[in-house]
Amino acid sequence: MRYGMAIDLKRCSGCKTCSVVCKVANNVPEGILWNRVLTDGGEAPDTSSGTYPDASIGYLPVQCNHCENPACVKACPVGATWKDKETGIVHQDYDKCIGCRMCIAVCPYTGIRSFNWQEPKNYADYPLGDAKAAVHQKHTVEKCIFCEHRVAEGKKPACVEQCLARARTFGDLDDPDSEVSKLIATRETQQLHPEFGTNPSIYYLV
Amino acid sequence: MAQNISAAAPKTRATSGRPSGAEGRKRGAVRLQGRGVTIAIVVCAILVVVGIALWMVQLSGGMVQTGMRNRDSWGLYLTNFMFFVGLSAGGLIISSIPNAFGMKGFGPISKVAIWSSVCCVCVAIGLVVVDLGGPARLWELFVYSNLSSPLMWDILVLGTYLILSLVYLWAHLRHEAGRMSHVAMRVISIIALIIAVSVHTVTAWIFSLAPAHEFWHTALMGPWFVASALDCGTALVLIIVVALRRAGYLKLAQSNVTNLSKMLAVFVLVDLYFFACDLLTSGYFGAGSDVVEMLTTGALAPFFWSQIICMAIAVVMLVAPRMRTDAGVCIASALVIVGVFFKRVQIMLGGFQLANVTLGDVANEFTMTNWESGIVALGYNGVVYWPTPLEWGVTAGVIALGVLMLLLGLRYLPLNPTEDDQAEQEAAIEAQAQAAAPAEA
Repeated sequence: MRYGMAIDLKRCSGCKTCSVVCKVANNVPEGILWNRVLTDGGEAPDTSSGTYPDASIGYLPVQCNHCENPACVKACPVGATWKDKETGIVHQDYDKCIGCRMCIAVCPYTGIRSFNWQEPKNYADYPLGDAKAAVHQKHTVEKCIFCEHRVAEGKKPACVEQCLARARTFGDLDDPDSEVSKLIATRETQQLHPEFGTNPSIYYLV
Repeated sequence: MAQNISAAAPKTRATSGRPSGAEGRKRGAVRLQGRGVTIAIVVCAILVVVGIALWMVQLSGGMVQTGMRNRDSWGLYLTNFMFFVGLSAGGLIISSIPNAFGMKGFGPISKVAIWSSVCCVCVAIGLVVVDLGGPARLWELFVYSNLSSPLMWDILVLGTYLILSLVYLWAHLRHEAGRMSHVAMRVISIIALIIAVSVHTVTAWIFSLAPAHEFWHTALMGPWFVASALDCGTALVLIIVVALRRAGYLKLAQSNVTNLSKMLAVFVLVDLYFFACDLLTSGYFGAGSDVVEMLTTGALAPFFWSQIICMAIAVVMLVAPRMRTDAGVCIASALVIVGVFFKRVQIMLGGFQLANVTLGDVANEFTMTNWESGIVALGYNGVVYWPTPLEWGVTAGVIALGVLMLLLGLRYLPLNPTEDDQAEQEAAIEAQAQAAAPAEA
C-alpha cells in the first residue's frame, strides 16, 4: 500500500482553505504551515504575471510529497524521519529528532520542512485540532504527515476532506481501482521536480 | 589563532632552556612560557565561558535568535565546521606525509602539527554540537545510527579521527623514546594519512550527496575539499612553526620553510584549478550557469572575488624568493586561510541561495532570514543568510576553546623537538650558511 494524493490544478482556486484546516487539525504552531498554496504568477502571493490582457495566474498547493524514495529519510542520522512500509507515509518522530536540520537541507522541495526555531506557540490558550495530533516540540523539524492519525482511523486527511473546490483526492496508489489511481491513469499528470529521483506520491492533475 | 602566539611570545620571554632532569634534557625542555602567553590563555578561557553562556541563551530562548531559518537551515556554525575540519585534516596530512614516506627535515614540526590538528577537530566537533537543536539527544547518534546518512558517516569518521590523532601523537613520543619501531611508526603515519583524507572527503559528502542543490551536487566536491584542506592546513602549520621558531621554541632550517612555502603555493593552485574546472562544467551549458552567475556577479561575488584575490596574492608571495621572509610567509599563509574561509562561505550560502521551488509565497520570521518584505522572492535578493551577534559569540567561544587547547598544549605537553631533530636542523642551517659564504666572498 502506498498512500498518495491527486490535486486537480484546474479545480484549485487558491482559497488556502487546505492551509488553514491543516493547521487546525494538526495544531500546527504559530508561523508554520505544513500546507501552502504557491502562486504561479508574479513574485508576490496572489499576483499575476504579465500585464493585461496577457496576464496569467495559477496556484500550486504544496506539502510533503511522501516520496517513494525520500531524500530526507536517507539523510536523517538517527532515523527520526522514516517511511512506513505499510502505508508509504513519511513520518516524523519529534521525540527522536536531534535538530540537525539535515532533512531540510536535502529535501528538494524548498520550504516543505519547518524547524521549530522557538518554543511552539498555540493560537489559543489550549491545543487545537484532533485529540491525537502529536505535541509539537522546540528545536525539532516537522512537516505534513498525511494526517496519519486520521488516516489510521479510516478518515481522509483534513485538507482532502475540506477542500472547497474538491480538488484533492486521497487513496492507495498501489490499488488500480482506487479513485486516486483512476484519476492519475486517465488525466494528464505532473509531479513536483521528478528529476531528483524521489518519485513524489502527490500528483498534480493538469 | 597564530597571532596570539607570535604577539604573546616575544623572543626574550618565551624561551626558557632550563633542562630539568634527564628526561627534560633529552627533550630540550623548551616550553612556551612568558606573561604574554598566560594572558592569551586567560583571554581564551574567558571567551570560552562567554561562549558557553551564549549557547545556553540560544538553547533556552530558542534558535530563533540565530540568523538561520527554514530556507537557509545551516549557517555560520557549519560553515566554520567545514573550515575547521579542513584545517585539521590539512595539518595532519602535512605532518604524516614526511613520516609515511620517510622524508627528512620536517621532524621538528610534526608533533606541533598533530596537536594543532587535534585542537581544530575539537573545534569542529564543538561547532556541530552548538548547531544541534537538541544536544541532549546526542547519544541517539550512537543508539539509533542511520548508516545511510552522510552526517552519520561524518560523526563516525570524526570520532575515529580524533582518537587516531591522539594515538599518532602518543606514537611519536614512544618512537622518540625508542620504544616503538620505525616500521610501526610508518604504518601509523600511513593510517593517519588515509583517515585525514577520508575525514574531509566525508565532510564534503554531506553536501555533495544532496542532489537538490545545484552548487553542492558535484563529484568534485570531495577532492576539492581535500585540496582546500591541504592549503589551509599547511598555511596554519606554517604560521605556527614560524611563530614558534621566532619564540625560540624550535629550530627549523629556512630551506624547510621554503619547501613548505612552495608546497603551499602548489596546493593553492590545485585548489583554484579545481574551482575553475567546476565553474566551467557548471557554466558551459544549461542550468548550472545560475551557479556561475551567483558567484561571479551575483549575491556571492564579494566572497568569490575576495577568495581569488587573497589566493592569487598568496601564491605570488610564496613563489617570489624575496618575499619569503618570516612576515611574508605568515601574511601569505593568513591570506590563504582567509581565502579558504571565503570559499567555505560560498559553499554554504551557495547551496541555499538557489531555491528549487520559486513560486510566489509568503515569507515570515521562521521561513527565511530576510523575511521582512513578506515575499519569499525578495528574500533572495542579496545574501540569503547572515549570522546574528549571538552566533558570532558562540562561534568565538568554540574557536577560543581550540586556541586555549593549542596554547596549553604548547606550554605543558612535550611537543617540542627532540635533540636529534634539532641537531639535524642545526646541521642544515650550518650547511646553508657555508654554501652562502663563498658566494658572498
